Amino acid sequence: MEIKADGKEGSLILLKQGAEARVFESTFVGRKSIVKERFSKKYRHPSLDSKLTLRRLNAEARCMTKARRLGVCTPVLYAVDPVLHTLIFEYVEGPSVKDVFLEFGSNGVVEERMDHIAVQIGDAIGKLHDGGLIHGDLTTSNMLIRDNTNQLVLIDFGLSFTSTLPEDKAVDLYVLERALLSMHSSCGNVMDRILAAYRKSSKQWSSTLNKLAQVRQRGRKRTMIG
Amino acid sequence: MKVCDIDGTPLSLALFTDVTNAKELLDLMQAGTLEPEVAFLNASLIPEVFPVLAAAHKTLLAKSRDSLTTRTLHSELVYNYSGSKHITESFKKCGISESSTYILVARFGTSVDEMKAVEKLINGKEIDLEELVVRANQAQIQKHYKITGPELGISSLADAIVCRIAARDAL
Repeated sequence: MEIKADGKEGSLILLKQGAEARVFESTFVGRKSIVKERFSKKYRHPSLDSKLTLRRLNAEARCMTKARRLGVCTPVLYAVDPVLHTLIFEYVEGPSVKDVFLEFGSNGVVEERMDHIAVQIGDAIGKLHDGGLIHGDLTTSNMLIRDNTNQLVLIDFGLSFTSTLPEDKAVDLYVLERALLSMHSSCGNVMDRILAAYRKSSKQWSSTLNKLAQVRQRGRKRTMIG
Repeated sequence: MKVCDIDGTPLSLALFTDVTNAKELLDLMQAGTLEPEVAFLNASLIPEVFPVLAAAHKTLLAKSRDSLTTRTLHSELVYNYSGSKHITESFKKCGISESSTYILVARFGTSVDEMKAVEKLINGKEIDLEELVVRANQAQIQKHYKITGPELGISSLADAIVCRIAARDAL
């Protein structure tokens, strides 16, 4: 990978590689940071590719900062580089909710901690949805628990978009429900606790939860005919 | 005075209070005869050094690509710190005015002589950068950057400013 046009960037350590982006650890003017680079897809036409990449990069930056404005904790955005297609943001110290829940699964659930996490999840999603923001990829690996404060931090807004439709909100919740069922069924019914907190947090909970019941019956995708 | 390192380029910062010749400084700057060239920032809007460093990082990156939006490197720093796309408005709010008394001076580069020259230019008392926290005008910051209550519940003032500086061009 080419590092910064001016070659001044500190060392980059690859943490994860996904289908859309690579995630590195680095430093940003003295603070530990995460660099998320969206790489180009060679199978796409170059001009289409750069347009898509740039649009998604900007959308992610927008959604991350919008979530913060709604009072949902996300990493602090440090910089956006439209030339290298990178986002630089705060390095959050702490385990993912996935790791915490998996440990509950193997060593037994710590009820108090579990409750605290579930309430924060429901509350955060409620705030996002009321603000018209859909996360789009709510899984337990996209949620971190900050060390010391135990505060929930949502990450990866790469699939986020704005919408006020109950349908989109319900699908958002449904994705989380499926993820919890498949990964953490040994933790008991976390989803119920999350939904209880969601109800308290979101003013529009009623239409969303009605829709969720419909989505559960048919699955994430709407039936396509013709 | 303090020197910060931004990916290899030094940025010198000095904070002044009770400045009496802001009008003179403003005239010099607008005439382009300020020697050495520096950036004057309205320090009331700065709760910490970090947001200034984030703006400086962005400035240097634009400079390395020859894509400065404003005329000089140092005016770009003021413009970037504002988190807004309106250049005139940015200079008015985040730069200094005739009546400014509390000013943060920033200059890329570390020459001691240059900073001495800057200190001579300014009729005021130099104070420690630690004073930024206590002297920042929270109401003014919240208004300028449109920071609301829910956001402050999860974020510090400085972090909220950094997000706006970073995300400006993505909006």
